[in-house]
Amino acid sequence: MNPLIFTTILMTVLLGTMIVMMSSHWLMIWIGFEMNLLAIIPILMKKYNPRTMEASTKYFLTQATASMLLMMAIIINLMHSGQWTITKVFNPTASIIMTSALAMKLGLTPFHFWVPEVTQGISLTSGLILLTWQKLAPMSILYQISPSINLNILLTMAVLSILVGGWGGLNQTQLRKIMAYSSIAHMGWMTAVLVYNPTLTMLNMLIYIMMTLTMFMLFIHSSSTTTLSLSHTWNKTPLTTTLILITLLSMGGLPPLSGFMPKWMIIQELTKNNSIILPTLMAIMALLNLYFYMRLTYSTSLTMFPSTNNMKMKWQFETKRITLLPPLIVMSSLLLPLTPMLSILD
Amino acid sequence: MMTYIVFILSVIFVVSFVGFSSKPSPIYGGLVLIVSGGVGCGIIMNFGGSFLGLMVFLIYLGGMLVVFGYTTAMATEQYPEVWVSNTTVMGVFLLGLLMEVMLVLYVLKSEEVGVVFEFSGVGDWAIYDTGDSGVFSEEIMGVAALYSYGAWVVIVTGWSLFVGVLVILEVTRGD
Repeated sequence: MNPLIFTTILMTVLLGTMIVMMSSHWLMIWIGFEMNLLAIIPILMKKYNPRTMEASTKYFLTQATASMLLMMAIIINLMHSGQWTITKVFNPTASIIMTSALAMKLGLTPFHFWVPEVTQGISLTSGLILLTWQKLAPMSILYQISPSINLNILLTMAVLSILVGGWGGLNQTQLRKIMAYSSIAHMGWMTAVLVYNPTLTMLNMLIYIMMTLTMFMLFIHSSSTTTLSLSHTWNKTPLTTTLILITLLSMGGLPPLSGFMPKWMIIQELTKNNSIILPTLMAIMALLNLYFYMRLTYSTSLTMFPSTNNMKMKWQFETKRITLLPPLIVMSSLLLPLTPMLSILD
Repeated sequence: MMTYIVFILSVIFVVSFVGFSSKPSPIYGGLVLIVSGGVGCGIIMNFGGSFLGLMVFLIYLGGMLVVFGYTTAMATEQYPEVWVSNTTVMGVFLLGLLMEVMLVLYVLKSEEVGVVFEFSGVGDWAIYDTGDSGVFSEEIMGVAALYSYGAWVVIVTGWSLFVGVLVILEVTRGD
């Protein structure tokens, strides 16, 4: 793509999310979502093969439907409250419709079906933008309407998402689909605590974005999109096998690493609000996630996967230099001792 | 019937939406879109928005739909008909030209045109004079507010439309 046009379109994606996050008029928020959607379509379609076109069409259709539902909720809110300001949505119908619209945008169950298919059809960099930046705008709106969201609907969607994210990722060998299911599960964790303490949602979003950025950059660095090609990283850059191990365990939520921080805080917040079965179920289902991360680390760093003999003598001509990678790896694994600094997020 | 005119128009509106959503060829979809645009304009005008109805016809039908129809026709016909390539097309064109010339001569002969309605001036389109203070039509005030207080909205919507065109061109360009 022409670099000037690519820059313009990328800046428009950023502009769309910024407009959503900083507007106080519902119509501007809707315009921001549409601008974001429209501008990310050519980014998803960077390579022109039928798979990317199908993936961007699926993304466009689901997100456009979600925008339509959002507009309907906005208009019902206008009818009943007579104003366009962003506050909690007072009318229950409008609140439920808006929650479903934002859940469709995030990829929560039962609207999760587009996430693996779209993530699989596009390149790794586009998948990175899709799974991290695109989650910021809907989550900011959910944060702003959080006092009025119907608890039953949101918690059902959250728990089902954790379930689907765990179970759905079990049978996958394609790395992009694994990241998609991990995204669904993490969105479930984020929305589960939204009604109780929205600050923790933002904390989880921050740490999730760091970990997902790290994972995707490690994949881009070793140019691998399947488990099989990831298992050859010991031959290309042996250091990244250890880094993949650490980051994946952090994503699974294991204690000395920073991925444990949001899960710990969320479980603590939920138990403070007298729900005990729910966080137990969520923690148990996060084990499913941990299982397929462990399977990835098993094939990548813990064992030498069976391969043909000439794969063992790979010559890599040019290493991609990703400057942001070392700080990201450090941040996504060693942040746990900084948990008391959580109070700055308020 | 006049009390239910909005209802009837809205029924026709929805039926024409069904007409193009059932995905016939884009040319027939465009035809039904014209009908739905016209009916939508009627609905807006029944609520007092005469300016907005005019906007629908001018910008939506006259601008965007015409561009859509033009590009669709350009994409489907390999050898498009020109006025001079076919004697029938040439004959019809000359006939229409003759009709227009005769109408112009008729208008020039007599002082005012009274064919369907009395056209005498643009005077009371924006301001409705009711006694002491003039009442301004609220949609014209809305447009004025859009360009003064709502400058940010103009910038954002203008940029989105521009990016929309960029994206469509980029996606259709292919390789």
